[in-house]
Amino acid sequence: MAGLSIDKITKRFGETEVLRQVSLDIADGEFVSLVGPSGCGKSTLLRIVAGLETQCAGDIRIGGQSVAGLRAADRNLSMVFQSYALYPHLSVGQNIAVPLRMRRLRGMQRLPVLGRFMPGARALARDIDQEVDRAAQMLEIGHLLHRKPGQLSGGQRQRVALGRALVRDPAAFLLDEPLSNLDAKLRVQTRTEIAELHRRLAATFIYVTHDQVEAMTMSDRIAVMMGGRILQCAAPHVVYDDPDTIEVAEFIGSPKINILPVELDGDGRVSLLDRDLGLVARNAPRGGASLGLRPEALRLASGGDAPLRGHVAHIENLGSELFAQVEVPGLGRRVTLRAAAQQRAALGLGTPVGLSFDRELALLFDASGARLRGITRAAPARVEVA
Amino acid sequence: MVATHPAPPHVAAAPDHVARRHRTAWVLTAPALVLMIVILLAPVVIATALSFSNYSLGNSGFDWVGARNYEKLFTRSTYAKMFIATLTYVATVVPISVGLGLGAALLINTLGRFREVYKTIYFLPVMATLLAMAIAWEFMLHPSIGMINRTLEMGCGTVLERLWPFLSTGCADGFPVWLGDKRYAIWVICFIGIWQGFGFNMVLYLAGLTAVHRELYHAAEIDGAKSGWDRFRLVTWPALGPTTVFVVTISCIRAFQVFDTVEAFWPQGGGPNKSTYVMMFAIFEKGVQQNLIGIGSAITVLFLIFVMFLTLIQRWLVERKVHYG
Repeated sequence: MAGLSIDKITKRFGETEVLRQVSLDIADGEFVSLVGPSGCGKSTLLRIVAGLETQCAGDIRIGGQSVAGLRAADRNLSMVFQSYALYPHLSVGQNIAVPLRMRRLRGMQRLPVLGRFMPGARALARDIDQEVDRAAQMLEIGHLLHRKPGQLSGGQRQRVALGRALVRDPAAFLLDEPLSNLDAKLRVQTRTEIAELHRRLAATFIYVTHDQVEAMTMSDRIAVMMGGRILQCAAPHVVYDDPDTIEVAEFIGSPKINILPVELDGDGRVSLLDRDLGLVARNAPRGGASLGLRPEALRLASGGDAPLRGHVAHIENLGSELFAQVEVPGLGRRVTLRAAAQQRAALGLGTPVGLSFDRELALLFDASGARLRGITRAAPARVEVA
Repeated sequence: MVATHPAPPHVAAAPDHVARRHRTAWVLTAPALVLMIVILLAPVVIATALSFSNYSLGNSGFDWVGARNYEKLFTRSTYAKMFIATLTYVATVVPISVGLGLGAALLINTLGRFREVYKTIYFLPVMATLLAMAIAWEFMLHPSIGMINRTLEMGCGTVLERLWPFLSTGCADGFPVWLGDKRYAIWVICFIGIWQGFGFNMVLYLAGLTAVHRELYHAAEIDGAKSGWDRFRLVTWPALGPTTVFVVTISCIRAFQVFDTVEAFWPQGGGPNKSTYVMMFAIFEKGVQQNLIGIGSAITVLFLIFVMFLTLIQRWLVERKVHYG
C-alpha cells in the first residue's frame, strides 16, 4: 500500500488537450473517486496513472517514487476494467492466478505441461493456489473457480475481475467504471461491497465513474472533473453542500440543483424576478448572478411571503418522498422541490403553490460560475418588504 | 370412455390439420432436399458403389469386384507413393503456411502505414491462377536458363561457397534439376503450395485479430505480462483459437486437393519416380485419363474419408475447445 501523487499531468491527443495540468494527492489507504461527465478525461487520467498511456507533461509518484518511464507491469498497481477484461479461455481460478503466475514464475515454469516439472514450480504453484482460494473466499466466488468467464453472470464476472486485482498486494487499486455494466439493483449491492472491501483492505483506491451517486456513497474524497481539469476535490458532503463552482453544484446531486437567475445591486443585495430575497453578498460585483437551491432547500409556503409562486407541472413520487416540478411564470424553467410523502395531497397537478427557501442553504454563483461566499441575511425589515 | 365421451368435432379435425401441416412442411423442404440428394449425396453413393466395380466409361456392362480396388490401393507401390507424396505435402504445407500466415498477420497488424500494400502483396499469389503461375515457376526452375540456378551460380567462388555446403556441391557438380529430381520435386511443389496459400491464411488471421479485445492486452500488461511472447500466449493465441481451427482445416483440405502444379509440371504421370503423385492427380489419371472409373472412385472415397475426418475434428475442436462460452 502506498500513497499516490499526480503532479501537473497534461495530456494531448493531437490538437485536443484532454488533461490540463491536473494535480491530485491521494493519501495511503484513501478512497478517491474521479467523477465527471463522459469525455472529461477521468479515464485517461486513470490510464496514465496505470501506465497504459503516457502523459505529455507532469509526473506520477507512487509511495513518493516517480514512476516516469516505468511500464505498467512494473508499477505494482491493480486495475479493474469496465469490460472486466477476463481471459476467456482460462477458468475463474486461472484468471485470478494470472498476476501471481506472471510475477512469480519464470518463463520456463509457465510452460503449459512442462512447467510443472521445472524445479521449484510445484511449491510456487501451491502457494499461488492458496492465495487464489483466499481471494475467492473473500469475494464468495469459491464455488465458481472451475467455471469459464463465459458461463458467469455480469455480477460474478465483476467479482472475478475484483479477485484478480486483490490477489496481489498492489500499491493501489485502480477501478475504471467497474459497475457500469451491472443492472441497477446489483450496482447498489456491489457499491456497498466495494466500500466494505476498501475498509477491510485499507488500501488506496482510485475509482473512476460518471455516476455521482457511486462517487458520493463510496469515497473518502471526490474529485469532480470537467474539461480536463479537477474542479473540486473534497469529501462528498463538502462537494455537495459547499461546491466551488456552478458546474460542480450542477453535476453532483440528483435531482439536479435549481439554478435561478438573480440580480445583485451595488450593495450586494440579491433579487429574483425583481423581488428582494433578503440576502446580501459581500464584495460581489453588481450585475447578473445565479442562485443555486437544492430541491431539499425549497419548501412549500403559503401567503404573500413566498418569494416564488407557480403551479405544479409534474410530480415524481419515489414513495418515501416526492419531487415536484413547479412552473414559475417569468423564470423560464421549472423549479424542483423535494416534499415529504405526506404533502402529496397539497401537490396536485396544476395546483398553484408558493415556494420559499432556507437561506442558510442558498448557494450564490457569480456570472462566470464561481461561488460567491460570505452571504448574510439582510435586516429583517427588508425581508418583510420581500 | 370413447363411447361415453364422444370426441367433439374440432378435436376430430385436429389430426387432419396436423397431417396437412406435415405435408406442407415436406413440400416446402422438398426442393432443398432434392437438390441436396442429387448434387451432394447421390454422387457420393454412386462413387462408393463404383469403387466396388470395374466400370469404365463407354462399356456396356461391368462386374462387381468387391474390395479388390481397395486392395490394390493398399498393396501396390504406386499407391504407397501416392500416400507418401500426399501426406508429405499436407504435413509440410499446412504447418508452414499456417505459421507464416499467422506471422505475417501479426506483423501487418502492428503496422500503421503500408498495411494495405503488404496485405495486397501477400494476397496476390492467392488471387493468381496457379496454372499460369506454375508455368512461370517452371521457367524459373529450369536447370540451365532458370533464374534460380542462375542466381545460385552467382554465389560460386564467393565466401558463401564455404559457408553453405549445398552451394559448393552445386558449383562443383552442377545445380539440381529441380523438377526432374525425385529428391527435390515434392519439396518444390510444397514450396509453391506454401507461397500460394499462406496469404489466404494471413487474411483470415487478420480478420481474427480484429476481434481480439484491446482491453485484454491492457489487463495482461497490468497483470505483469511484459514480453511480447507472454502477451501472445495469454491473449492473442487463445483469442485466435477459433480462427486457427478454421485455418488449419481449410489448409488441410486445400493441401489434400493439390493438383494444378503437378498437372502443369508433369502432365504425364506424377513427377520423377512418382514422387509427386498426389491423390487428386491419381484420381484424375486413373478416372479420366485411363478411364479406370473403379479404382478412381476408390481413391475418391478414400479422399472423402480424409476430408470428412478433418471436418469432424474441426467441429469437435470448435465446440469443445476454442469457443469459451
